[in-house]
Amino acid sequence: MLVEIRLIAVIVAVACALPGVFLVLRSLTMMSDAITHTVLLGIVLAFFITQDLNSPLLMIGATLMGVATVWLIETLQRTKLLGNDTAIGIVFPLFFSIAIILITRYAGDVHLDADSVLMGELAFAPFRRLTLFGMDLGPKSLWTMSVILALNAAFIGVFYKELKLTTFDPAFAAAVGFSPALLHYGLMTLVSLTAVGAYDSVGSILVVGFMVGPALTGYLLTNRLKQMIGIAVLAAVINSLIGIELAFLLDTSLAGMAAVVTGVTCLLAFLFSPEKGWIKKAALRRKQKREFYTWLEKEGIH
Amino acid sequence: MMDQLISLLTDYTFQVVALGTGFLGLLSGVIGTYATIRGESLLGDALSHAALPGIAIGFLLIGRKEWVVLMLGAAASGLAATALIQWMSRKRVVKFDSALSLILSSFFGLGLVLLTHIQGSANANQAGLDTFIYGQASAMLIQDVQTIAGIGAVLLLVVGLFWKEFKAYTFDPVFTQTLGFSGTLLEFLLSGMMVVVIILGLESVGVILMSALVVGPSVAARQWSDRLSGVMGLSGLFGFLSGVIGTTLSSIGHQIPTGPTIVVVLSIFVMASLLFAPKRGLLMKQLEQKKRKQKYAQQLQTRKEANEYVG
Amino acid sequence: MKKRAFLLIGMVAVFLAGCQWTATEAGEEDTDALQIVTTTTMITDLVEQIGGEHVQVEGLMGPGVDPHGYQATASDVIDMMEADVVVHNGLHLEAQLGEVFSGLDQQGKDVLVLEESIPEENLLASDDSAEAYDPHIWFSVENWKHSAAYITEKLSVIDPEHAEDYRANNERYQKELDKLEAYIAARIEEVPEESRYLITAHDAFHYFGEAFGFDVIGLQGLNTETEAGTRDVSNLAQFVADHRIKAVFVESSVPTRTIESLQAAVQQRGWEVTIGGELFSDALGDAAQNAETYVKMYRSNIDTIVDALK
Repeated sequence: MLVEIRLIAVIVAVACALPGVFLVLRSLTMMSDAITHTVLLGIVLAFFITQDLNSPLLMIGATLMGVATVWLIETLQRTKLLGNDTAIGIVFPLFFSIAIILITRYAGDVHLDADSVLMGELAFAPFRRLTLFGMDLGPKSLWTMSVILALNAAFIGVFYKELKLTTFDPAFAAAVGFSPALLHYGLMTLVSLTAVGAYDSVGSILVVGFMVGPALTGYLLTNRLKQMIGIAVLAAVINSLIGIELAFLLDTSLAGMAAVVTGVTCLLAFLFSPEKGWIKKAALRRKQKREFYTWLEKEGIH
Repeated sequence: MMDQLISLLTDYTFQVVALGTGFLGLLSGVIGTYATIRGESLLGDALSHAALPGIAIGFLLIGRKEWVVLMLGAAASGLAATALIQWMSRKRVVKFDSALSLILSSFFGLGLVLLTHIQGSANANQAGLDTFIYGQASAMLIQDVQTIAGIGAVLLLVVGLFWKEFKAYTFDPVFTQTLGFSGTLLEFLLSGMMVVVIILGLESVGVILMSALVVGPSVAARQWSDRLSGVMGLSGLFGFLSGVIGTTLSSIGHQIPTGPTIVVVLSIFVMASLLFAPKRGLLMKQLEQKKRKQKYAQQLQTRKEANEYVG
Repeated sequence: MKKRAFLLIGMVAVFLAGCQWTATEAGEEDTDALQIVTTTTMITDLVEQIGGEHVQVEGLMGPGVDPHGYQATASDVIDMMEADVVVHNGLHLEAQLGEVFSGLDQQGKDVLVLEESIPEENLLASDDSAEAYDPHIWFSVENWKHSAAYITEKLSVIDPEHAEDYRANNERYQKELDKLEAYIAARIEEVPEESRYLITAHDAFHYFGEAFGFDVIGLQGLNTETEAGTRDVSNLAQFVADHRIKAVFVESSVPTRTIESLQAAVQQRGWEVTIGGELFSDALGDAAQNAETYVKMYRSNIDTIVDALK
C-alpha cells in the first residue's frame, strides 16, 4: 500500500507536468488554481439536478465546470481587452461566488462542499479501490490518473509540432493555416481534466504545485522544448518521491511536503541553472560592473 | 417602497457593511490599478494562500488564536512571498505567473506541514485556525470600517505624493531608474501597498471577494479611459459602487450572501464595460465593423455603377 | 543520456530503500489489543469508553480538529493500514473520507458507521433536501446511547473473547449518559422557558434543541461554505432584541466575527446581548479546557449556555 501511494504520487505528478510545460510557456499557470476554485459550482449544479450527494454526476459536474472555466477565460483573453491573469481573476471569483449564493440559498442545510465529491488527500488515495467483478484492481486514483497521463502523453506526442509552433509563434501558425485556438482549447480541456483528477487524488494545492513546479524547473535548465519536457518529467518523479519520504520521516502532510519539495527544487534550479541561474547571473553582473569601471578608469572618466 | 428603502438605509448592519465594502472597493480599485497594469492581478489570490505558514507560526509561538499575532504572521508570510515572487520574476528569468503559482503552492504546502504538526499537539485551541483570519462581508464591524478608512487614507496619500514616480515606474521601470529614482524603494512601496490592502481585505471580507476587488474595478475602468488618472478614478468608483450596490441587493432578500453578491455586481460592471464601452467595447467594435463594411460595399456599388455608366 | 539513466537508477534505489524503511517503522508494538481507527474526537472517546483496555484507538482528528479542518499526515496512512476496525459517523459528516471508510470492508476491515445505530425517526432532515440529514447526531444524548449500544454489539461480535467486558463498560457508560441527561435537564430548568434560545453562527445544535426543548437558530445553516447576508444579520438581531435574549454563542472552530457583528447590530437596537461563551460543536476540547471527553464536553457546553442565559 505504501508502494501504491508513491506510485499514485508519481503518476499524478507526471500527468500534471506534461500539460504544465505548456502552461508555463504560455503564462497560464494560474489556470490550475482557478479550476480548483470553480469546481464547486459544477458540484452544486449537479447536486441540484440529482439531489443526491452520492451521485457520480457530481464528479462529472466538477469536470465539466473545469472545462467551462478554461473556455470562458480563453474567450475573455481572446478579446485582447485584458491580460491573461486578469481574465482568470475575473472568472473564478464569479463562478465561486455564484456557487456560494446557490449553496446559501438552496443548500444551506446540506453538507455540500468540494470535500463531498473530491477526496483531495493523497494519504487516503490507496484506500479507494477499483473493484470489478469482485476483483480488486488497485487504487481508483491510479487508474484514472494513468488514463489521464496516457491522454496527455498522446496529445503531446501527436500534436508536438503544432503545439511547439503555436506556443512559440502563434501568428505564424495561424498564417500557415493551423487553428491555434482549436489546439489551445484541446490543450486546456486536458488541463482541466487533469486538474480535477489530480484534485481528487492528491488535493487542490498539489495540483498547482505539480503543474508549475517541474515544468518551471525544466524551463530554468534548458531552452529546448524536448529537453524541458524530459526534465519536467524527471523533476516530477523526484519531487514526489522525496516529498513522500520526508513526509513519512517527519510524520507530516504528504501533499504539503511534496509541494514544499517542489518549491525547493525550483529554487535550486533558479539559483544554480548554468545559463539562467541567479548565481551565474549575479557573478556575470559583477564581472561586467568591474570591467565597466576598469574601462572608465582607463578612459580617464571618474 | 419608499419606507422599505428608508428602513434599509437606516439599518445599522446595512450601513456598516455598505460603507465598509464601499471603502474597501474604492481602495482596492485604486491600488489594484497598478497591479493590473503590471500584470500582477492574481497577487491577492496568491497572498491568501501564502499567508498560511505565517498564521501557523504565529499560533506555534503563543499557543492560542490571538488575532493580532496571527494577522502579523499572515502579513509577514505574505511579504516574504511577495519578495520571493518579485525576486524570481524581476529580471524576467521567470515569468510572473509562474513565480506566483510556485510560491503560492510551496508556501501553502509549508503551511499544511506546519498545520499537521499543530494537529499532532493536543492543543484544542487550534480549532478553526486555518480560517480564523478570513472574514465575511456581512460580518463587518464598525472598527473594520474605521480601520479601512484610516489605512485607506494613508495609502491614498502615498499614491498622491508619489503619483508621478509611481506612474513612471509602472509603465517604464527601467527609464524611471535611469532618472535616478530608486527602483527598490518604488517597488517596495508599490508591493507594500498591495500587501496591506490585500491583508486588510482578507480579514474583513475574505479571500474570494478580495481577489475580485483588486482585479475587477480596474479592468472595467480600463475600457473607458486611456489615462492613468481616468482609469484609477473610475476604478475607485466601480469598486465603491460594487460594494454599495452589492450590499443593497443582499439586504433585499433572505439568505443572499453579501460578499458573493458584490462579486456578481462587479462582474456585471466588467462584462458591461467589455461589451459597451465606446472605442474598446466589443459591441462597439462590432457595430464599427458593420458600418465600415456597409460603407465599403456602398463605395463598391457606386464605383460599379459609375463604370457601367461610362462603359 | 547516461546522466539521466544514472539518476533514474538512483531514484529507484531510493524508492526501494524507502519502502523498506517505512515498512519497518510501521511495526510498532504488536499488542493483542484491537486496532481501531476513528474519525472525530467524539467517536474516539466513545470507542475508548466501550473498548477500554482491549482496544487501541487512533483518532484521525485530534482535540479541536473537526472534519473540515482536518489534514492527513503520513502516520495516518500506517494507522489505517494496520486497523482491524474503523468507525465513522456517516451522514456525510466526513464527506469523502466517510466514503473511503465505507469502502474499507472490501479490504478486510470491519467498518462501523454510527449512522446505522440511529433509528430513523431520530434523524433530523435538513430543510433544503429531503434526502440529506443533519449529521450532528451526537448532540442528542439518546442518540449517543444508541451509538454506544451499537459499538458494544459490534465489538462483541468482532472480539467475542472480551464481549463481557464490552457489555460491562456499556452498562457503566449508559448510566453515565443517563446522569448526563439528568444534569442537562436540571440545568435547563434554571433557564426560564421564554429564554430558551440558542443562537450560534452555524446550525450544529438542532439535535440538542429537539431533545431538550430549546429553540436553536444558526445564522448560516449547517453548511460551513455558506455566507450570511446583511438582511439575515439584521433580522436575527431584531429577533434577539425583540425576545430579549441575553446571550449568543460562538463556536470553537468557526470564526467569531459573524457573532460579533450580530452583537453590534443588537446593541444598536438598544438591547445588550453578551457573547455567552465558546461552545464545542464539531470537535471535543482538550484536558486544559476540561472538555476532552463527550460527557465533559457536553457539561461544559450546557454550563456555558445556562450560565449565560439564566
